[in-house]
Amino acid sequence: MKEKPMETLTNSYEDMAREVSREHRKAKWFQVQLLLKRKAALLSLIILVLALTTALFAPLIAPYPEQGQGIVNLEHRLSPPSSDYILGTDIYGRDLVSRVLYGARISLFGGICIVTFAALIGIPLGLWAGYNEGISGGLILRTVELFLSFPSILIAMAISILIGAGWVTAIIALIVPWWPWYTRLVQGEVLSIKQSLYVEAAQMLGYGKLYIIFRHILPNIMTPVMVLILLDLGPAIIAIGLLSFIGLGTQPPMADWGLMVWEGAPNILSEWWISIVPGCAMFIVVIAFNIFGDALKDVLDSNG
Amino acid sequence: MNTRIENTGQNPDSLAGLTVEPILQVQDLNVAFNIPRGKAKILEGVNFDLYPKEILALVGETGSGKSVTAKSVLDLMPGNNRETQGQVLFANKDWLTLSNKEFQSIRGDKISMVFQNPKSSINPIFTLGEQIFRLIRLYLSDQVEDIKQKKQCSQKQAMKIIAREKLNEVGLTDIKRMLKLYASEVSGGMAQRYRIALALISSPEILIADEATSALDVTVQAHILKLMKDLCKNKQTAILFITHDLGIAARICDRIAVMYAGRIVEIAETKKIFSNPLHPYTKGLLKAVPKFGKNEPLSFVPGIIPDLVNPPRGCRFHPRCDQAMEICREQKPESQNIEDNHTVSCFLYLN
Amino acid sequence: MVFFLCKRFIGLIVLLIALSTLVFFFTRSLPGDSAALYIGGNAKPEQIERARIELGLDKPLIIQYQRYMGRLIHGDMGISLRTHRPVFQDLLEKIPMSFELVFWALLIATVFGVSFGVIAAYFQGSFIDVIIKWFTSAAVSIPIFFFALLLQLLFFNYLGWFPLQGRLDSFLEFTNPVKHITGFSMIDTLISGNFKAFFNVTWHMVLPVAALCIGPWGIIARLTRSSLLDIMQQDYILAARASGISERVLFFYYGLRNALSPVLTVIGLSVALILLATFYVELIFNWPGIGYYALAAIISLDYTALMGVTLMIGTVYVIANTAMDILRRVIDPRIK
Repeated sequence: MKEKPMETLTNSYEDMAREVSREHRKAKWFQVQLLLKRKAALLSLIILVLALTTALFAPLIAPYPEQGQGIVNLEHRLSPPSSDYILGTDIYGRDLVSRVLYGARISLFGGICIVTFAALIGIPLGLWAGYNEGISGGLILRTVELFLSFPSILIAMAISILIGAGWVTAIIALIVPWWPWYTRLVQGEVLSIKQSLYVEAAQMLGYGKLYIIFRHILPNIMTPVMVLILLDLGPAIIAIGLLSFIGLGTQPPMADWGLMVWEGAPNILSEWWISIVPGCAMFIVVIAFNIFGDALKDVLDSNG
Repeated sequence: MNTRIENTGQNPDSLAGLTVEPILQVQDLNVAFNIPRGKAKILEGVNFDLYPKEILALVGETGSGKSVTAKSVLDLMPGNNRETQGQVLFANKDWLTLSNKEFQSIRGDKISMVFQNPKSSINPIFTLGEQIFRLIRLYLSDQVEDIKQKKQCSQKQAMKIIAREKLNEVGLTDIKRMLKLYASEVSGGMAQRYRIALALISSPEILIADEATSALDVTVQAHILKLMKDLCKNKQTAILFITHDLGIAARICDRIAVMYAGRIVEIAETKKIFSNPLHPYTKGLLKAVPKFGKNEPLSFVPGIIPDLVNPPRGCRFHPRCDQAMEICREQKPESQNIEDNHTVSCFLYLN
Repeated sequence: MVFFLCKRFIGLIVLLIALSTLVFFFTRSLPGDSAALYIGGNAKPEQIERARIELGLDKPLIIQYQRYMGRLIHGDMGISLRTHRPVFQDLLEKIPMSFELVFWALLIATVFGVSFGVIAAYFQGSFIDVIIKWFTSAAVSIPIFFFALLLQLLFFNYLGWFPLQGRLDSFLEFTNPVKHITGFSMIDTLISGNFKAFFNVTWHMVLPVAALCIGPWGIIARLTRSSLLDIMQQDYILAARASGISERVLFFYYGLRNALSPVLTVIGLSVALILLATFYVELIFNWPGIGYYALAAIISLDYTALMGVTLMIGTVYVIANTAMDILRRVIDPRIK
């Protein structure tokens, strides 16, 4: 066995490291392929992409955009599905297809908004609390525990009542109890990673706190965080719907799936499509998010 | 590996090398896993014999397949995407042909196993007492009945008496308190002694120790090693000792089998391995141990272990071998008996 | 152990006090003039002023708080602005009605949820596991208000199997009224031998309970399944298997016991979920319970009732979680 001087020793280790990270990248690409091979995940992804694009382009796609936005059409009220109105009309005669498309804008993007902001607030706080176990960290933890000791929707309802109903306020009201979940998850992950050798090594090499947090810790916690975000979108959409259903969210004449189900509820037995159509829309989108999120979690776990 | 290589603790009573029948024969064991990326050929033609009352070491780096070998003997490998071929002969039966149910009734009885992490190998929500009692009920129910009769006591008391005896054998004291403890409340050393005691309840013929000392402090390691050696001598139990540390293997093992990338590349008596290593990998391992007092640059074996889905053609070690020849790239070397009880798989020695 | 219980109990009290304070300040920040709401209709300014004094709204905030906390200890939660009756009395009436729904929903969700989870984990990868996975995905994804309406549509309108709403057929309300003994209609009807009403009430409960239990059923099933699968991968299970313990014992004795802890946590969570769900289910099925009362309070900004309801729900939630904490401590000695 050859005995090598120190420089070639480092070179060889560098080669090894390079080879390992190349393998790593190949593995990640392979995971994506694996994910898409599952039929359920692929179908869900297609549904979600479809939902998002149609919601985005609602003004262009909707057959009756003005009705989508709320203009009434009383002569055709309560019409069952027909060739003119593919999914029927509601109690004000508005085309349900258009209403659902416009409703998607608030329900879908509202949900995305809630989760995004909750993550934006919660993750940094979690990183901080996990890394510094001092007073600031403790304070964050106590706040998180306080929020998590009460049901989120209740808190959101309370805030909605306080600051007034409306789709914007509903979203804000939901972000408030939502972010602590991210903080708790991230903080837990950071605590367990902090023990790892590579963090200790970086500390001993004198790297600054922020650098360590962002360069070493963050990439390693992204996996469970990403899964949580994806699986959270469904509940967020339902949460907005829950608030709108009791009048604390989107206000008429704007459209939102929860509000639409409410509007159709008195007529559920006769003109069932008014409630069922938006309800189905919500159900399909949420289940698509959940199935895709589950598939992602499975793929990431099995290779992890 | 940072221990000095000293007297190999060879058991003078070892029967290895004499004309005695081995109690365990692993022949041509091949294990492949179907993972999404392809088929990972983890073990490729593993061959070794274990003789009664000897301590055989299975030494190799991480990924060499030593743990898989041990677990395959007892069919403990997880998952269903597995293909196993070959033979594991024990008590005149090929164990690999047994069904799951049959295996369930044999595991732990004649062949026992202890694992690397003693504390996590104990169920955290049950007391140590509850867990040892279950095994006592399973294997020593006659003894329990006997004691119940003789001493006119309850079943629990009878089991406690047996537990005390078994735990004392591994050097544990204060049994009464210990039985009420939970896994998190004992030290690593105590936990491993406890697990060894559990493994010995059924008086097995073979004890498989899978990196049993790797997670312990050095001083505790020494005690456990001594314990195992004593047990081998007193209870006539053969030990298959799996480790990545040649130094530890040297201290108590009679023979050493060196594994690389799913194959055994060399088997010999401990003394021979150190005095006359044949396989280039073995030589590399020995050279990599830093020697005190000598001011030499650190030696190591360059490269990384091969990808098991696409292993190198021919000898799996050839990309890292500085004595590789043409033939090494093309064919796999068969194992060859070079001298008395010294086997090696390398074209350097094949005629 | 006793020390642990005392600690938890004190924690409970502290949390309840914090909750009451929060609730108080919350309701005092509500928009709208509570006094005007109390009088209702076209009230003259003097009337509103008199109501304000009557409700004690003229005093400074601190005094109001003191009074509020003082009264609270005696169980006085004030007068509902909407029903003009003591909130405590309202709650006392409504709680048993909701309790019946919540109790059965929780029971069904737990029993069936855990069973489904165990079966799916035991037969992992098989057809039945796939079916259960699909079922639970749907169960946790469906919005509760949608599901309740769907149930009405399918089972009343199209199949005619179950009634639309309410607790009792109006016909029976007159002929076989339910004697009010405990307030729990199932118990009352059984005790008073009113079997016709008993079956009728039970029949009316099916759809609401179904709507309430579906979400937690899915959540509990999923969690049970993933906990079990996770645990079966652990070192101690491998070691036990190597010792010769049979697969059946490993799974049903060790596996389940070890998985119990997270399952208990999620059952505690389910209590809160079901409570909140009653808001919607009682509205849709016209069931006069706490949920209905709470929703009416929200819409009419009845701040005293809101305080009472929030306190009640918060209290139940905290008690349920503490109970689960204690149970977990009994099972898993690792939790200190």
